[in-house]
Amino acid sequence: MAIPLDYVARETASNLWRNRVMALAGIAIVAVSLALVGTALVLRQSVARQIVALGDNVNVQIFVQASASGGELSAIRMLIHQTPQIKSCGYLDHQQSYQRMRSLFADEPTVAGVLTPATTPPVFECDLINPNDAPVVKSVFVGVPGVFSVSYPQAAVRSWQRLANIAQTICLVMAIVLLVCSLVLILNAIRMAIFSRRREIGVMKLVGATNWFIRVPFMLEGLVQGLLGSMVAVLFVLLANLGVHSLLGSSGMTSQVQPGSSTLLSPSNLPAGQLFTTEAIILVIGLIVGVAGSSVAVRRFLDV
Amino acid sequence: MIRFEDVTKTYKGSSITALRDVNVDIERGEFVFLVGSSGSGKTTLLKLLLREELADSGSIWVAGRDIGKLSKWRVPELRRNLGCVFQDFRLLPNKTVTENVAFALEVIGRPKNQIRAQVPQVLDLVGLGQKGERFPDELSGGEQQRVAVARAFVNRPLVLLADEPTGNLDPATSIGIMKLLDRINRTGTTVVMATHDVGIVDAMRRRVIELDRGHVVRDQARGVYGYGDDLPSSSRGVPAVAIGSSWSGEDSGEESLSAGRVAAVRARRGAR
Repeated sequence: MAIPLDYVARETASNLWRNRVMALAGIAIVAVSLALVGTALVLRQSVARQIVALGDNVNVQIFVQASASGGELSAIRMLIHQTPQIKSCGYLDHQQSYQRMRSLFADEPTVAGVLTPATTPPVFECDLINPNDAPVVKSVFVGVPGVFSVSYPQAAVRSWQRLANIAQTICLVMAIVLLVCSLVLILNAIRMAIFSRRREIGVMKLVGATNWFIRVPFMLEGLVQGLLGSMVAVLFVLLANLGVHSLLGSSGMTSQVQPGSSTLLSPSNLPAGQLFTTEAIILVIGLIVGVAGSSVAVRRFLDV
Repeated sequence: MIRFEDVTKTYKGSSITALRDVNVDIERGEFVFLVGSSGSGKTTLLKLLLREELADSGSIWVAGRDIGKLSKWRVPELRRNLGCVFQDFRLLPNKTVTENVAFALEVIGRPKNQIRAQVPQVLDLVGLGQKGERFPDELSGGEQQRVAVARAFVNRPLVLLADEPTGNLDPATSIGIMKLLDRINRTGTTVVMATHDVGIVDAMRRRVIELDRGHVVRDQARGVYGYGDDLPSSSRGVPAVAIGSSWSGEDSGEESLSAGRVAAVRARRGAR
């Protein structure tokens, strides 16, 4: 038997309106928990992307003192050739390094303004045979006359990744706790709706309404709560994705990680596909929580 | 129409047998009073008919079907054939009279045009044609019970079950309700009514089934309330003669009822 849509819509809407405070609480908790799920997913994906990008061109950067003499420079060159872990090296002189820095700090005129070709350190960018040897290579070059500093961007990324992992775990644990809470809240909201409608339900049973006819408005009520909550979360993730990335993009993290690369941690990523998947996951979880909460309530408290 | 075969029922957690070896056969179109003191099993019998409860043993037949063997999802189908009226009316206070009656059709998925056609008809039948927009708390007890009867009858059930329908009403109002049930009975609907109302039973002189502690102790055609009391006593309840005379000469009512029924059948055909 078909259940008339207008009947179901009317009943669901009036149930929600009668219990609007409870419903709102349910929706809010669903939204918060799913926002956390979304944050965890976005973190995970963006870190994964960084690792991939990093693996493509691992290098150690050896910054030479701007004032280094030609002798010191060739000694460093010599040392590079003698270091077995280094596969190959590129060299950016004052001018090239300056150009790179300028483009990197184009957004920050105060930094770009103090830079001059003469004060910008030239840099050797080296690919390693094994990226894990970066700390060894660094120890070889630290303290060598004329070397200003040695960095390996991996380190920055690794620590960033650790941080992200912790954040992700915290987000997920909190999300799970909150999802359970939201399930209970929805369950309770439906229970109250059932309770406040017990007269109607009694009459419906008496005149021979089918079980599904009685249940569907309550099930739908849970579904709507889950859906509304997840829609708020979807919106949050959409905005946060833009916000977080533009924040990271201008924080200087970029230069530490990978000078000259605009693909890492820059604003405008995640790509649309991944973002869409994340949002879809959020929506589905929201719907599942809503339906699960109301199903349990209907089964336990609606004795038909 | 209704048959109880050796039906026994004991409620869980109770040592008392609510019904024991009950054998009752009710024909289509009969009007039957169930009498007996409180706890004698009248309500249990009605609950078994509605399949709100299941019998421990024996079988119950309604309209040719063993309802004990009905699967759970077919119970609504059974209940659509049984109209129900209670002592406490069980109307929905936030719905108008019309909405209360329409609700019974709405929730079994009847189409709107059929609801629009049938509801005013049945309200006319119970004499509330002018009060469709009132809310239950704006009506007298008798009028509320009329609404309840309208709701029970609007789907044209085969059987109307009434559990002390006059229990909350004064004698004069009760007469009105009984007239209504009688009218409904005369359309061919079987009526089973549990009652304590001596005056009504004695005046109507219909079949009486008396229960005592779960046993059928009397099954009497054209019976009275009291055991072995053949004479309707005018000292108890409403004077029998008064009711009797008020029931006779109701032909015009019956005519309008059957006209209503024809119209209802037409409406149903039209809906298909």
